[in-house]
Amino acid sequence: MQQFEGKVQLVLYPIAFRPKGEEVAQAAWCAGEQGKFWEFHDMLFRRWGLWNNLDAPLQRLLDFARDLNLDVTALKSCVESERMQSRVEADRAYAQQLQVNSTPTLFINANRVVGVQGEGDLVRLIRQELDRVQRPGQ
Amino acid sequence: MARKPKARVPTLSRRPQGSQQSLTPRRWRLKLVIGGAVLAIALGVGGLVRWLPQRDVSPSRQGTVEKHYTRGTAGAAVVIKEFSDYT
Repeated sequence: MQQFEGKVQLVLYPIAFRPKGEEVAQAAWCAGEQGKFWEFHDMLFRRWGLWNNLDAPLQRLLDFARDLNLDVTALKSCVESERMQSRVEADRAYAQQLQVNSTPTLFINANRVVGVQGEGDLVRLIRQELDRVQRPGQ
Repeated sequence: MARKPKARVPTLSRRPQGSQQSLTPRRWRLKLVIGGAVLAIALGVGGLVRWLPQRDVSPSRQGTVEKHYTRGTAGAAVVIKEFSDYT
């Protein structure tokens, strides 16, 4: 996506449709408090197979957080306090407002894209949208 | 020689009988057409109800949620909103 530098902005909404997802989304928000939201987010996907099958994945996520040099005690306290719950709920409400019923769902400007897309397809869709918005007279 | 008047033989009129026979299939056909139309309308409405919310939404109508983590350039020509579930 570096080819679109300066032309594209990505806004991420971590949606929790399941109870387990809420804790994970909160953990991501809490990592963000320590300035490492994206690192934590990327790691969640990279190591997905290592925590997703666990009933209570928090401990495993804290282990990952340690690898990212996060303050694990602060992260745990943040998740357990549920102070990020309101953000998770706000995102869920926003998703419902936009009729997002499944993930991943993307909006490339106005265009809804539902389901997993290959990188080639995404690049094509972004290029199409860039062409559209940059066309003279638009 | 006077012609002998032709004796009238009472015959069964077939027309009414025939139309009565074809009335039943015609009714069924009408019922089928109406039923088909109702079904088509129901499917169409159902499809619209399901599809309409899933359509594209212009950025101005999307609204926003405050404070989110972003990558890339603020105010870029293309904004991608990604809704992801970690689980």
